[in-house]
Amino acid sequence: MNKSGRLLAVILGAVTVALIVIGTLDPSSTALAYAGGQGLVPSSSTPELAVRDLAAEIGMREWGRAYGSLANKAEFTEQNFQNDLTGYYLSLRTYATLDHFQVRPLHATANDAEMRLVLYWSTVVGTSVSTRDLHVVRDGDHWDVDWPVAKKPDVPPQVIPVNYLRWDVIYPGAGDDWGEQNVEAPHVRIVDMHPVQRAEGVVILGELLNEDIVPAYVSVNATLLDKEQHPIASAGSFDKISHILLPKQVTPFFIIFPNAQLSDVKSIRMTPFSTLVPASADPVIAIDNEHLNPVPDPSLTGQVINQSGQVVNVAHVLGTFYDKSGQVVWVAGEYLDRALLPQTPEAFDIHIPEDLARDISSERTVVATYSERGEQ
Amino acid sequence: MQKTESIEASQRPIPISLSLLLATAVNLPLMLMKLPLKSYDTNFHIFFASHYLHHWFDPWNPKWYAGFSQTTYPPLPQQWVAALSPIFGLEMAYMAVQFAAILLLVVGVYRFAKLWVSPRAASYAALATVFVGAESFLVYSAGQLGTTCAAPIYLNALPFLYEWVRHGKGRSFLKAAVLFTAAATAHHATLLFGSFFFALPVLALAYFDRSEGERVAPPAFVARALAITVVTAAAIAVALLPFWIALIHYPVTQTPIPHPSRANYILSPQWGLNYFIVPYGAMILALPFIFWRGSTTPRLRPLLFGFWVAFLLGLGGTTPVGPILLGRAFEVLTMERFSYWAALLALPFIGLLASELVARYRTRAIVGLSVAAAFTCGFAVAWSTYLSPEGGAEGLDVKSVAAWLNRDGHDQYRYVTLGFGNQISHLARLTDADSVDGEWNSGRMLPELTRYGGGALTNSKFFNKPGLDALRAMLTDADHYGLKWVFVHDPSYNPLLAFAGWRQVDSLDDNTVAVWSKDGVPPATPLNAPQIPPRWQGIMWGICPFGSSILAILVLLIPEKKRQEAAQEYPVDENLVPGRMVS
Repeated sequence: MNKSGRLLAVILGAVTVALIVIGTLDPSSTALAYAGGQGLVPSSSTPELAVRDLAAEIGMREWGRAYGSLANKAEFTEQNFQNDLTGYYLSLRTYATLDHFQVRPLHATANDAEMRLVLYWSTVVGTSVSTRDLHVVRDGDHWDVDWPVAKKPDVPPQVIPVNYLRWDVIYPGAGDDWGEQNVEAPHVRIVDMHPVQRAEGVVILGELLNEDIVPAYVSVNATLLDKEQHPIASAGSFDKISHILLPKQVTPFFIIFPNAQLSDVKSIRMTPFSTLVPASADPVIAIDNEHLNPVPDPSLTGQVINQSGQVVNVAHVLGTFYDKSGQVVWVAGEYLDRALLPQTPEAFDIHIPEDLARDISSERTVVATYSERGEQ
Repeated sequence: MQKTESIEASQRPIPISLSLLLATAVNLPLMLMKLPLKSYDTNFHIFFASHYLHHWFDPWNPKWYAGFSQTTYPPLPQQWVAALSPIFGLEMAYMAVQFAAILLLVVGVYRFAKLWVSPRAASYAALATVFVGAESFLVYSAGQLGTTCAAPIYLNALPFLYEWVRHGKGRSFLKAAVLFTAAATAHHATLLFGSFFFALPVLALAYFDRSEGERVAPPAFVARALAITVVTAAAIAVALLPFWIALIHYPVTQTPIPHPSRANYILSPQWGLNYFIVPYGAMILALPFIFWRGSTTPRLRPLLFGFWVAFLLGLGGTTPVGPILLGRAFEVLTMERFSYWAALLALPFIGLLASELVARYRTRAIVGLSVAAAFTCGFAVAWSTYLSPEGGAEGLDVKSVAAWLNRDGHDQYRYVTLGFGNQISHLARLTDADSVDGEWNSGRMLPELTRYGGGALTNSKFFNKPGLDALRAMLTDADHYGLKWVFVHDPSYNPLLAFAGWRQVDSLDDNTVAVWSKDGVPPATPLNAPQIPPRWQGIMWGICPFGSSILAILVLLIPEKKRQEAAQEYPVDENLVPGRMVS
């Protein structure tokens, strides 16, 4: 064995170790993302770092570690803490993952601080944002978070009378194909429609009425046509509509054509679809304390209350906004990422574009719901 | 009773046939059990093979992504699966090809290791090949048929490269060029990175050895190296021409898809277990020896450097080497293949270590090495059970879904699955209907899929926001693609479908799969994609890659001229006393 060989072995070994140390102490963004944004030794030496570490542990669903780091953990169990974040009942939050988070300091002294934690949850229907204002307390050389746990809502024992309408559909036979109903589609009609040019593209707003005496499963497609009546683009209402319409019910719809220019459009072909489906008026969702908030942060706020006796797992609140002449000027919605428990109000907050807010004089709200046993 | 063992016996290599028998004993039962079907990619390769079986000369496959070109993936192992499937059936043909690759690897490692170490140490390396965790991991968990087929072909080509450069033998030139070409048609990345990790060290070795025995002048050495490089590159360019055309015209520019092999294995120990402990196993204990012996023995240094770089890259995001050396490719490639190559490069060292340990400690060494090898292999094989690659599709039987799609004209529309994990390839093979999803990310061109950085739609939720964004984009454009059916094996997707205008219309497989449908969707029409390869490319694709492997088999039948072996000094520990008398 020669001296240079031994030296080479030592150098290669040392370089390897050094590279591992560098990669661990200063990981690449990709590697850091897999570690939940946390480095080798989580540090809670400042209030902000303490909140960041907690959020990173929540993001990795390390409930035990996150709960263990809380200053007020004696006030609730780890299961309470986890349910507070993921929901006590099946909801959008149950399967959501934390996409990213933001931490903002609100107030700080030498021994405690107020921090705002904004959590951006990725759910199947889109991003859901939740904000928590946290009290952070100093404990020696590190800081711990007081978690403001929202305990499980107590629904008092009660009897809910069930007297809603329900429509069943009798199919030709158990062995027959579902598609061979040969039943006339319910009569639906577009009662309002007009296109709007927005920065993100052409938007078509409108309302659809179920004129029939049976429930309908509806959707609306639109095709933009140029001067030669050639199609420019086609799109559907996707989730900006309430798909199940009971007799005489109206739903707003919103169809967007990204990057399209209204000046290129000569006409629009609207195609409403309707299918006869079984449906019921349950669950009944009431809307309370609605309020149109003016600029600078225009929104529609209020509460929805599940008046039925069953848990609603997901609710989609759709607001239709009208001008003084009664024309639809905007349609927007918000998914509630918490389950709606019977008789328990849940707040909603639908953002309205600032430039349209001044034109809005009235609104109408509908709620589409999804329950584990079936959608409404 | 006194036992004796001669010095000669202790220096004799372990017969390669014994290693092959051992490889057969370990792997054949697992192949007959079709264990690789549980892996991530096995069904994907069988799906490709299924297309070749029915459309050998038409690489445009409409069953995924509303149509994609199979010229985006080197076809050799899949074409062999297709070629053998009339005899064995597709699944067993896959097992046969994979099994052949395993056996070929034993031979390849032996021949490659013989360049570096004594025949006896090389025979130990070949024996160790049977138990390498990285091989078992790739075969039984990852299902990387292309990588595990290309590597043995490549390893078998390297001794011919050495022979050509050292001795200028035309037959070696021919065999090396043909085998390299065949390896490239099995897996392009193996050729690309193998040139750096495997071929460059062999060329360096040939250069170091140039003054021993039959001397070769430096200009002749350079000329030979250039000649083989140019000819091989030209052959590969022709054999994979449709692949290069597809790559140049449609480079992979999509948003990178996360892969945990790029994690830091210390900060994310669960991935360290998966991508470091499992593939390397007991080989980790030999790392100090590899570094020490590779450094102190000048002849082994090229091999050590090849191993070292592959090893560092195989560590993924644990070191900054991957992002620095690979650049954007770090976000596209998966890193477990580098660990595989590192493990193969380590095998000559392992063979050397094993032969020295056995020479010194006899039975104790044999027992210890056997236990370490068995645990390494056993753990890697069993790993697919502990960390299931099936992506939530355990127990899912897609036959009922395929039957549903194949009846009543349902296959006029496209479909997508949710929660089907690695079973989407299996389903695609069984059904006549086309899908907008798929498992070959580099082959997809639909903007809804390439824009966000999610993988297969069926696993959307595992890619978090990018995956779910891609799914919503695809459902939004359902009409455009004739996408009418969604098969759901994971109810967490139900709220999205319910609010987006899809209705559950049926349930299958004991209510474990729900069929959702959208009204008003027009029947699917073929996309007039510019990526559709012209006819001549299809013919080339059907002939050249497979032909290169046939040619490789034929040229290997050409006998080698016996050359007087020059006395070769192999690295041994000078403190050892090999072949001592034992009693």
